[in-house]
Amino acid sequence: MKEIWAIIRKEKYAETKRALDAIGCGAMSVHSVWGRGRQGGFIMSDVESEISSYSTSAPRLVPTPSTLALEGATLTKPVVYVPKKLLVMVVPDEKADKVIETIIQVNRTGNYGDGKVFVIPVEEAITVRTGKREL
Amino acid sequence: MKLVRAFIRPEKEQEVVLALEGAGFPALTKMSAMGRGKQKGLKVGDIVYEELPKTLLLIAVKDEEADKVVSIIMERARTGNIGDGKIFISPIEKVITVRTGEVEL
Repeated sequence: MKEIWAIIRKEKYAETKRALDAIGCGAMSVHSVWGRGRQGGFIMSDVESEISSYSTSAPRLVPTPSTLALEGATLTKPVVYVPKKLLVMVVPDEKADKVIETIIQVNRTGNYGDGKVFVIPVEEAITVRTGKREL
Repeated sequence: MKLVRAFIRPEKEQEVVLALEGAGFPALTKMSAMGRGKQKGLKVGDIVYEELPKTLLLIAVKDEEADKVVSIIMERARTGNIGDGKIFISPIEKVITVRTGEVEL
């Protein structure tokens, strides 16, 4: 079994969920998280106008500690946390690739901030209702 | 790659994040969490707090950099009292960047 952590854009969540339902992997936990990537939450000015037209998350960025620490000083670039959705799902080995493929297909826009997918091995899963050691 | 999950005091978040950024680890995800540890929460006089607020930081790092990240978090988040938090490290098999489809092992 594999645990798949997908950090995706908020506005793509509904679409991702529908796409995952369609391939029969609808079981997931969802968290609203804040984060930033290698760009430090930096949205390039030339793509910013393009992003804000479809992104609901762009106007609600929050300052990070480093932004606050730089207050008063000249800010060379905005460092912000971006609101994201974190989907956590455990799937059988053979379905993992299909799930990743679906997530990428739905979420790719080609801009920074499309997200990351992490694949973590899981040793065991137990269903509480039945006590069976299976998904 | 390794996934570092660190449960830290919410008031230490700023210090930890700044230190990580300074050391070259700008990428992270944070979420707030409620939890308790071995001590079953906190008792102050007659009041028992069963669960305490913590901040959970999720950081994906290269295998060889995991120790460095852990030591930065340890150094900055430690106060010496109960409730400083825990760090969990798990292996990641694959990391995929959605924008490019690039796969890292």
